[in-house]
Amino acid sequence: MKQNNMLAMILAGGRGSRLHELTNKVAKPAVFYGGKYRIIDFPLSNCANSGIDVVGVLTQYESILLNSYVAAGRRWGLDAKESGVYVLPPREKADANLDVYRGTADAISQNIDFIDTFSPEYLLILSGDHIYKMNYAKMLAYHKECNADATIAVIEVPMREASRFGIMNADETGRIMEFEEKPEKPKSNLASMGIYIFNWKALRKLLMDDIKNPDSHHDFGKDIIPTMLNEDKRLFAYKFKGYWKDVGTIDSLWEANMDLLDKNNELDLNDLTWKIYTEDAATLPHYVGPDAKISRAFINQGCVIEGEVKNSVLFTGATVAANAKVIDSVLMPGAEVEEGAVVTRALVADGVKIGKNAVVGSADSEHIELVSKRVKGVE
Amino acid sequence: MSKALGIINFAGKHIWVDGLQSYRPLGALSFLGRYRIIDFPISNMSNSGIDQIQVYVRRKPRSMVEHLGTGRHYNINSKRGKLQVLFSENGVENDVYNTDIAAYLENMKCIEEINCPYVVIAPSYMVYCENYSSLLKTHIESEADITLLYHTVDNAKEAYFNCNILELNRQKGVLSIEQNHGNAKNRNIFMDTYVMKKDLFIELVRKAKKMSSMFTLTDIVKAECGELDIRGVSHRGFFASVTDFKAYYDANISLIDLKTAKSLFDPEWPIYTRTNDSCPTQYFETGSVKSSVVSNGCLVEGTVENSVIGRGCVIKKDAVVKNSVLLPGAMVGAGVHVENYVVDKDAKLIRGKEIVAAPENPGYIKRDDVL
Repeated sequence: MKQNNMLAMILAGGRGSRLHELTNKVAKPAVFYGGKYRIIDFPLSNCANSGIDVVGVLTQYESILLNSYVAAGRRWGLDAKESGVYVLPPREKADANLDVYRGTADAISQNIDFIDTFSPEYLLILSGDHIYKMNYAKMLAYHKECNADATIAVIEVPMREASRFGIMNADETGRIMEFEEKPEKPKSNLASMGIYIFNWKALRKLLMDDIKNPDSHHDFGKDIIPTMLNEDKRLFAYKFKGYWKDVGTIDSLWEANMDLLDKNNELDLNDLTWKIYTEDAATLPHYVGPDAKISRAFINQGCVIEGEVKNSVLFTGATVAANAKVIDSVLMPGAEVEEGAVVTRALVADGVKIGKNAVVGSADSEHIELVSKRVKGVE
Repeated sequence: MSKALGIINFAGKHIWVDGLQSYRPLGALSFLGRYRIIDFPISNMSNSGIDQIQVYVRRKPRSMVEHLGTGRHYNINSKRGKLQVLFSENGVENDVYNTDIAAYLENMKCIEEINCPYVVIAPSYMVYCENYSSLLKTHIESEADITLLYHTVDNAKEAYFNCNILELNRQKGVLSIEQNHGNAKNRNIFMDTYVMKKDLFIELVRKAKKMSSMFTLTDIVKAECGELDIRGVSHRGFFASVTDFKAYYDANISLIDLKTAKSLFDPEWPIYTRTNDSCPTQYFETGSVKSSVVSNGCLVEGTVENSVIGRGCVIKKDAVVKNSVLLPGAMVGAGVHVENYVVDKDAKLIRGKEIVAAPENPGYIKRDDVL
């Protein structure tokens, strides 16, 4: 808490059901991304790199793996004295019944006691399923500079897509005048990134009122922010420039992986000043065989490539056997493509085997094929 | 139950790896892109259930200390286990006295206070996998005083010159330990690995000091061959002794072959190292890579063939890297052709376009150098 008096809470309870089998057993923040990471590595690494010492992670859906994963705060350097990652699933308390988190604001309300133990001046609310690099310390500086009650990070989206987002209408000073959730006729293209900084004392009071309100959805976007605007509170939009992705579907998860193949891509995972930390794997470097062909690819350690890889992202320990082809695809950790198999426009889930000479996906498919079960070989 | 203290010894004065060793002790030398040589003996010990490990450093401890840290990445229990980095302070003043025996004597208290009846001593400059727990069992069952590990080779005429060889009788009793003079091709190369009772080890260390201030552990064991029951145990699997420059180059290059690599790396016997949190390696349209081992964090736009590429290397467009070993952070600029070279850490090859050495005599580019 010492560094900037700001505590971060990451909302990581969502399922992400449009990711189908990928989230059958794990919550969306635990989904793999970028050759070696899980999505939640991004907000956690951002916290660590921004000098935030204490991070609460609010988990709910399929949380066993996520709980143990984030609890090892050492991975992100969040393990010094007075620093740590706290896993916060719904729990029974002396003065309240056990209840699931009913909304984003409720998840925070149910952990007021936890936050109070650190008595932070500022509370940072983050989403556990977004891919981006951001220095929250800069956002806090802006929050202070504006003398704001709340600051919301926004990103400019194409006007035609604006109706898919929560849109902030701000005046020329950046002060938010109006907030519209998925407006039919958007007045601006400043989309909320679901990243909020609040003054903790003021938010605490609002949350206490919100718990008692039977008509509330207990949601930041639907309830807390509108209430604050009604009360004429000072809400400011903090413009973020850079890569930001909310990967809700298989297509968009695939696309976000493909983004990494561009030279000088915006996310720049190779930036040594802002590393994204993750679990360490004890594997070899990757092996490239004598007849391999690799072009435009992002390949992690532990892979063995003896066939062809083009326009693809290969996660830890994925293998591509001789005469196999992997094109425009994503192979998640330990996926195996056996001899002669051809994988095109597909996302192969972790540990899945594509048998000899099997053909998966096709070059002209509208959607990306998710392969989450073993595909038998063809003799 | 762990019954042995693990000691990782440094390379004696007779071993010198040209170029590379000027900057770091051999154990801290980068190996196969993402490892350092010392990862092998420490992982062997950790996987064998040894969690009291002492690493001795003869000189330049910085990179070693940085790499080892608390030892947590080696899967050593952080409460019950211990990884110590020790060195001989007196030896730094005068290299003649900078022997392993001197270092052991200076740190005798640390050795004595560890409650293990046996010691396993392994070198920091050899690459191999061995289950020390089985080796210890073999040692105890044989009732020998000392057990030595060796590897039988058929090319001792061309390689292993800085190694010792074991002369064995039919019962695997060690008759003598001699330096390899390269006069026979079939030899049992001593892997500088010992198993014995800790009490005997301490006794030998004290005796060595009395006999000569220049004596090493090998010297005293050699002198005791007639007196003690010393047995040899043969090692199988990959073995490389990084005791000269060519050996370093050859060991890296030989592991490019996946079959050879599989004889060293067993999924059930993980080799741990310190993570660098590098992202995966990015290949561009113009890149072409064949028969190579590539670590994370590299940007590949050029051609790589039969090479080992360390973490965070950059290979620019139209660059050609062939039969070479690139240490972490090396950069090969556009149009540069490097062949049969070891390129040390963070070196940049930019202006000199043809950097080619003879295959039998690989070249070396210094650390941080700009060419």
